[in-house]
Amino acid sequence: MKVLVTVKRVIDYNVKVRVKADHSDVDLANVKMAMNPFCEIAVEAAIRLKEAGIATEVVAVSVGSASCQEQLRTALALGADRAIQIDTPDNPESLEVAKLLAALIQAEQPSLVITGKQAIDTDNNQTGQMLAALLDWPQATFASAISLSGEQLEVTREVDGGLQTLSLSLPALVTTDLRLNEPRYASLPNIMKAKKKPLEVKTPAELGVSLKAHTRLIKVEAPAERQAGIKVDSVEALVDKLRNQARVI
Amino acid sequence: MSDYKHPYRDALFVLNELVDFDKLCAEHGFADANLELVSAIFDEAGKLGSEVLAPLNRVGDTQGVSLTEKGVQETAGFAEAYHQFQESGWPSLTAPEAFGGQNLPNVVGTAVNEIWHSANLSFALCPMLTQGAIESILHHGSDALKEAYLSRLVSGEWTGTMNLTEPDAGSDLAAVKTRAVPNGDHYLITGQKIFITWGDHQMTDNIIHLVLARLPDAPFGVKGISLFIVPKFLPDGSRNDAQCVSLEHKLGIHGSPTCVMSFGDKGGAIGYLVGEAHKGLAYMFTMMNHARQGVGLQGLSIAERSYQQALQYAKDRLQGTNKDGSRYPIIKFPDIRRMLMVMKSATEAMRALALVSAAEIDRAHGSEGEAAQTHQNRVELLTPIVKGWLTELAQEITYLGTQIHGGMGFIEETGSAQHYRDARILTIYEGTTGIQALDLVGRKTLVNKGEHLASLLEEIGQTLSALEASGQFPVQAKALRASLADGQAARQLLLDKSAEDAALAGSISVNYMMLFGYLCGGWLMSQAALKAQALLEANSGDPAFLNAKLTTSRFYAEHLLTRTGSLLAVIQAGSASILALPEDQF
Amino acid sequence: MSILVIAEHDNRALNSVTLNALQAAKAIGGEIQVLVAGHHCQAVAEQAAAVAGVSKVLLADSPAYEHRLAEPLSKLIATLGKDYSHVLAPASTSGKNLMPRVAALLDVAQISDITAVLSSDTFQRPIYAGNAVATVQSLDAIKVLTVRSTAFEAVAASGGAAAVEAVTASAVPERSRFVSEALAVSDRPNLGSAKVVVSGGRGLGSAENFALIEQLADKLGAAVGASRAAVDAGFTANDRQVGQTGTIVAPELYLAVGISGAIQHLAGMKESKIIVAINKDPEAPIFQVADYGLVADLFEAVPELMRQL
Repeated sequence: MKVLVTVKRVIDYNVKVRVKADHSDVDLANVKMAMNPFCEIAVEAAIRLKEAGIATEVVAVSVGSASCQEQLRTALALGADRAIQIDTPDNPESLEVAKLLAALIQAEQPSLVITGKQAIDTDNNQTGQMLAALLDWPQATFASAISLSGEQLEVTREVDGGLQTLSLSLPALVTTDLRLNEPRYASLPNIMKAKKKPLEVKTPAELGVSLKAHTRLIKVEAPAERQAGIKVDSVEALVDKLRNQARVI
Repeated sequence: MSDYKHPYRDALFVLNELVDFDKLCAEHGFADANLELVSAIFDEAGKLGSEVLAPLNRVGDTQGVSLTEKGVQETAGFAEAYHQFQESGWPSLTAPEAFGGQNLPNVVGTAVNEIWHSANLSFALCPMLTQGAIESILHHGSDALKEAYLSRLVSGEWTGTMNLTEPDAGSDLAAVKTRAVPNGDHYLITGQKIFITWGDHQMTDNIIHLVLARLPDAPFGVKGISLFIVPKFLPDGSRNDAQCVSLEHKLGIHGSPTCVMSFGDKGGAIGYLVGEAHKGLAYMFTMMNHARQGVGLQGLSIAERSYQQALQYAKDRLQGTNKDGSRYPIIKFPDIRRMLMVMKSATEAMRALALVSAAEIDRAHGSEGEAAQTHQNRVELLTPIVKGWLTELAQEITYLGTQIHGGMGFIEETGSAQHYRDARILTIYEGTTGIQALDLVGRKTLVNKGEHLASLLEEIGQTLSALEASGQFPVQAKALRASLADGQAARQLLLDKSAEDAALAGSISVNYMMLFGYLCGGWLMSQAALKAQALLEANSGDPAFLNAKLTTSRFYAEHLLTRTGSLLAVIQAGSASILALPEDQF
Repeated sequence: MSILVIAEHDNRALNSVTLNALQAAKAIGGEIQVLVAGHHCQAVAEQAAAVAGVSKVLLADSPAYEHRLAEPLSKLIATLGKDYSHVLAPASTSGKNLMPRVAALLDVAQISDITAVLSSDTFQRPIYAGNAVATVQSLDAIKVLTVRSTAFEAVAASGGAAAVEAVTASAVPERSRFVSEALAVSDRPNLGSAKVVVSGGRGLGSAENFALIEQLADKLGAAVGASRAAVDAGFTANDRQVGQTGTIVAPELYLAVGISGAIQHLAGMKESKIIVAINKDPEAPIFQVADYGLVADLFEAVPELMRQL
């Protein structure tokens, strides 16, 4: 079974973002970039399927400028077999990413696609679902457990209030939540091997997709600074404030 | 508690701009390596360092290690971390492919080791000593020994130790008393070794001890010492007669067990001769440059960690009050800023010298004939400076790191004190500062009539010319010009006067070594400024980082490079007042 | 303009987050209709019809919608949605699961997690875990939105008298099947939508001590959260992690106990209306965002707090 896994290059989760002075966006110049943490979980899930003898090939795909090849190399170092960069300007919209991926998937014919549930930059939480819709595939978002028997994929999902388990017929799409696994660190030998694994570049034109804007980013601002409040000197004073001033208890 | 983040930008800058890494790889047999690969390696090593090793640093300090019935019990959590470290293949970084290594340049190993030592100095000593064992066997062991031991040391399944010191044989290894008696295809080893780092633990299935011992027919002194492999468990699985009988209580590096090892309590530990008899010490010397540079690197690592912690504190700690009553952090105070700048600029200079020196080892190994000799001479010259100067400077940096914390720095929970204590061993082990300095004045200067040093000074002169030609760095140029003259004067004084004053070399040696340390730092920080300026003009790279480099270069020139003047003054005072008092006046 | 709001429910009762989404719909302006899709969910449709400001309730009652799986629902909504200018759903796990699929079928963008309506086509939404706020304009004819419920007041649940109109369900067989559900074994509210959250950090010291947080939460009818440090130390399960890569919360009251306040944690909770911090370190960064800070040993303060509540 072939598994396709998507990878997004985002700001490293340790880095504090700063809004540009002209409010046009956040400032990403010379900021440390890394693989989106939810994509790391997706890659890990795919590799574990391969290690379990279920997946025969893991293909990592990223959509963006050439710089995202760095994250594809990371995916290869983690254990993906080959990588494809779909070359677009940075930050394409989710729907366009989904269309590009859908076109690629028509050619690649994987049985399973695993994406992160969201990227920690735009926090959209939508590309996986859009892709499943375009392919008319079943989806299981926010997965915290995956198991496969035959052509049936059983996925436990983290939903408000608890867990839901679905059974999907392959081909299917899964988006990963935090609890699905703990991603490994790439080993040194695999980092070395990753250099020699194939990394292919495809253009939207080759995939027959023309990009279109659906939204316009008007401005980006820093959120209102939260002011430090007061220190209370006892539990009693705290309860009094919560009861009579804030009125939250 | 402090977080640790690998300063990958500076490491990549040094590799690219000062080491010329891609060229080194292309010219010296590392076709698979390039800066892009190193960047990926830094990413993963940085993660493991920050997320796995660094959180255990304080645990190791507070919990330490203990001696139990089954031997030394390492700090809780270290074994899991070691397995992760080992399974990720990090012990194999520089080893040859034939034994499962990745055959990456020594300078990459050095740059990556910076991460391990910064994250957790105590932990990182274990693979560091294993590296020593690997090199001993690789360079001097028979094919059979290589076959039996190398792959599993390279993979990290087993760890290695270096058993040199004895109660009466420290800096003077010629006094080694441990005996080795031939017994069939092996030897029986009897004796006691002290200060054996990671001499025992439960993290791996076996530990391979490299032990210096004397054969019954051995000549007296340095030419009568042989090197043996003494595994904790023998090939048949039985326990060898070698064990840790005591653990030292130390000022720092509490997470690293420092063992008293006893060999042959039950009749003799089985050992296998490495290489030829009586050549043990010579073998140790071949590894010395690498080992000493490795300890110098630890000086950089602990300085970096201390800096990161102090910086965070300086940003967080509110101690100034504005007119409106709001408070501001201590980083706004000029003297705090001065201390941070000393830490930052010194650490950058240390990193530059550590990596440039490590790359010389690669160039020496990867060259032939005269070129190889030239690079080897440079390695020999720089090694005592890297070991001596970096570790001495680390004392000052960790001191400042604690100072910036004020009263909180003196409190153990803050964590700064640990770096201060951990750093203290660095000027002592693997040859004290005094030993390094003697090496520099003796074998590295007087023996070759100062020629190797002259060639370094000439190269520094070229950097000075480039600085002057650019016209953009008058501060650095002035300081480097003065400091270079100080270096030339110190060299000349040693060459001219040591014949007439036998005590001169030993009297001036430490100041001499420190002088050349600061000068080398100034040389590389000047090069860094020139490279940063060129990148800025080409609109390439991160302007914030490059502009900061121009500033640290200038600060270094003003605050640290100028120290060579007073060092020269002390050197010029010679030996007279040092030795003037008769011994009975002490 | 006509707006379709997708009701969140469990076939028995209308979930209150729907009322928050309706507030966002009101802010957009225009006729507001509600879709109740489920099975044996007539009661929900009646509750929706009673909500102030709702002009019509569409009821799609079919076994296919019983568990509100995204595949059949998205097709239904995409078909219905063509007649509306806006389609909204609460940004719950259900809405997030469903709405991007709807948008893709309509060939429009989906704007996630809106926190403010600036005009009928321009919205604010948090990005970078709330460390920045983006103002986004939709260029599509149909705007598909999910609404962060904590950012909008609920509309009144009563006062309306809308007609309920049945819509026919599509009957395409789907390749996803509901197997089971294990909803909160405790009576505690869900972390992401709770009105009160009590979170514990590294200061708790152990998994055993973390029970203190659970007791306090039960006292307050609160959800239980945790800092990443507490999760990494194994004190509690990782689904309780509040922060940039965990759950983002914005309750009325957030109690941070023994949490120092790493940037990543702050990113996940700083939109809370009232933040209370209990920490023994007066320099802990959490105090810089707390409305009420108590510098105290949590092992004394928390039991005392429980006594006084």
